[in-house]
Amino acid sequence: MPRTEPSREELEKRRIVGINKENVTDVTSTDFPGHYPGEDHAWDIEKFRDGLQIEFHQNDPLLASFSLIGVDASIANAFRRIMIADIPTLAVETVFINNNTSVIQDEVLSHRLGLIPFKGGREGLDNFLKWWKKPTDDDAVPNYFDYNTVKLSLNVECTHNEDAAPGEKDPTKLYHHAHVYAKDIVYEPIGRQTQYFSGENAIAPTNPDILIAKLRPGQVIDLSMHMHKGVGSDHAKFSPVATASYRLMPTIDILRPILGADAEKFAKCFPRGVIGLEKVTKNDAAKKGSGYEGHEGELKAVVKDAMRDTVSRECLRHDEFKDKVRLGRKRDHFIYQIESTGQWDSDAIFLESIAHLKEKARRLEQQVVNMVR
Amino acid sequence: MARSKAKQDASQSAGEDDIVMQEPPASHQPDLDETDASMAEGEGEEGVEGEFEDEFEEEEPQRVKLLPGSTPTAASFEFLNEGHTLGNALRYVIMKNPDVEFCAYAIPHPSEPKMNVRIQIWEAAGTTAIEALEKGLKDIQDLCDVVTDKFLVARKDFKE
Amino acid sequence: MSREQYTVPTSSQQTFGASGSGGRDYAPESSNTVMYYTCGDCAVRVPLEKGAPIRCQKCGARVLYKERTKRMVQFEAR
Repeated sequence: MPRTEPSREELEKRRIVGINKENVTDVTSTDFPGHYPGEDHAWDIEKFRDGLQIEFHQNDPLLASFSLIGVDASIANAFRRIMIADIPTLAVETVFINNNTSVIQDEVLSHRLGLIPFKGGREGLDNFLKWWKKPTDDDAVPNYFDYNTVKLSLNVECTHNEDAAPGEKDPTKLYHHAHVYAKDIVYEPIGRQTQYFSGENAIAPTNPDILIAKLRPGQVIDLSMHMHKGVGSDHAKFSPVATASYRLMPTIDILRPILGADAEKFAKCFPRGVIGLEKVTKNDAAKKGSGYEGHEGELKAVVKDAMRDTVSRECLRHDEFKDKVRLGRKRDHFIYQIESTGQWDSDAIFLESIAHLKEKARRLEQQVVNMVR
Repeated sequence: MARSKAKQDASQSAGEDDIVMQEPPASHQPDLDETDASMAEGEGEEGVEGEFEDEFEEEEPQRVKLLPGSTPTAASFEFLNEGHTLGNALRYVIMKNPDVEFCAYAIPHPSEPKMNVRIQIWEAAGTTAIEALEKGLKDIQDLCDVVTDKFLVARKDFKE
Repeated sequence: MSREQYTVPTSSQQTFGASGSGGRDYAPESSNTVMYYTCGDCAVRVPLEKGAPIRCQKCGARVLYKERTKRMVQFEAR
C-alpha cells in the first residue's frame, strides 16, 4: 500500500464532532495506524510537538483557563483526573474535641473543619511535609512528627456584649463570638515548621470568612486538630481544585446566509457575544450564488466568538435555520478551566498533573522491566 | 509551651500511664548534630529521583503482572492500583504503535483495584507485546515533557 | 495541652469542669453521690442526689439534661 497523506480539508473534517438536533456524530478518534488505508498515524513525538498548541485565556492564582490543542481526549482526561484525585494537599484529618456545647454535633463539626481549604508556604508544603501513615493498632509509637503533622486549634466561647445598644437584635453585635469563622483557627507551629511556615508562609485558611458554627452565650468550642497530606482519591477534602474541567471548542458554521429579522433571532439562540450582526456589503451582494444578491445593507449573522457558545442547540429547534447552520466541536481542542482551592496556584496544578502522569509512567516502566526479569 | 512541658514530664516520670494516648504531635526535634545528619540524608534521597520520592516509595511491590494465557505477541497485563487515568492514556499511545493489532484496557470490577491491558501484535511485526507496553509507557513520558515545555512557554507569553 | 482526666464524680469533687456552661451552681443539700445536670428551662447546673426528685431547684422545671463528657473525644474529619 503506497503511503498517502490526507488533505488539509480532510484533516479539518476529521477534527470535528458533529452535533445535530437529536444526536452526535464522529465521536471517537480515528487517528490510529491502520484506520485509514495508506495513512501513517504512528506515534511521532516531533509530529506531536508540531501539532500541540497551548493558549492561555486567564491565569490568576485561583483560576486558570487555557486551551490545550492537539492532544487526544484520553490524555486530556488523564490530566484532568490527576488534578482532581492525585495532587496532594494538606487538610484537617483528625479533630480532638475537648468541649463542644454548640448546637452543631461533634462529628458534623469535624466534617466541616475537614473541608476548610488551607494555604501555606509552597516550599514547606512541597519539600518539607511528607506523607503520614495512619497508625495501626499495633504501632507502639504514634508517628506524629513536625514533618507530617500540622497542629491547629480552635478555642472560642460566646459571651454577652455589655456594650451592645439596648434593643439590639443582631446576634453578632449582641454577643461576642456569635459566629465562629475559619479565621478563628490558630496554627501552632511545631519543631522545624517555624522555618517553613512563618509570617507570609504561615498555614492559614484560604478563605477566612467560612462560617464554621454559630454560638449563643455560654456555648463553647474547644478543640485541636491535626492536618496531614492526602490526595483527592482518598477524600475530596484533599483535592487541590474546586473544579477542574474541560470542554471541547464549539464550532458554528453558517452554511447559507441568515438575514434580517432571522439574523436577530439567530443571535438570540446563542449566549451574548457568540453571534454578531453585520451589514451585507456591496462586495457580498455582488458575489453570484452567495445568497446575498439584492440584500445589500441588510443585517447578516456572523460567528464572532464560538468559544463562548454553550452548545445549547437552540438554533436547531427553529425551522427557519434548517440546513443553514451546522454545529460541532473540535475533537482535539480542550478548553480547561482550573479553579484552585488556594493551596496551589491554579496553573501549577496543571503542571503538577503532567509531572504526575510522567512519574506514573516512569514507575510502571520500571515495573514492567522488573516483571520480565 | 505546654507540649514541651508535657514531654519533660514524660521523660522524668516514664512510668506514668497518662499522656501517651493524648500526646499531640511530638515535634521531631533531635539534637543539633542529629538534625544535620538527618537533613543531609534527606537531601541525598531527594536529589536523585525528584519530588515524588518520599518514604512512600521505598521498595514498591510488583504491581504489573502478566496474565496466564499470554503469548509473546498477544498478552494481557494486570496493573494493581491503576485506573482509567493511566489505562485510557496508555491504551491510546499503544494503539498509536503501528506494530499493534489490538489494544484495549478494562477495569474488570470497580471494587477491585485492578486494571487490565490487552495487547496483540501483528505476527509479521517481529516484536512482542511487552515491548509495545514499554514503548507506550516511554511515549507517555515523552509526551509529558512536550506538554510541559509548551505550557511553560504559553504561560510566559501570556504574562507579557 | 492539658485535658481533664475523667473521674467518677464523688462528693469531694463538686465543682469540677464548670467551664462555660453558664449559670450558678446550686449547693447540694447533703453530700452523698451528686450528679450535675443542666436545667432544660433556665440552663442552671442542678445537682441531684440518688433518689432525689428530678426537678430544677431554681425554676422547678422537670426536664434536665445530662452534662457533656469532660473527656476529650477524637473524630476523623471525614
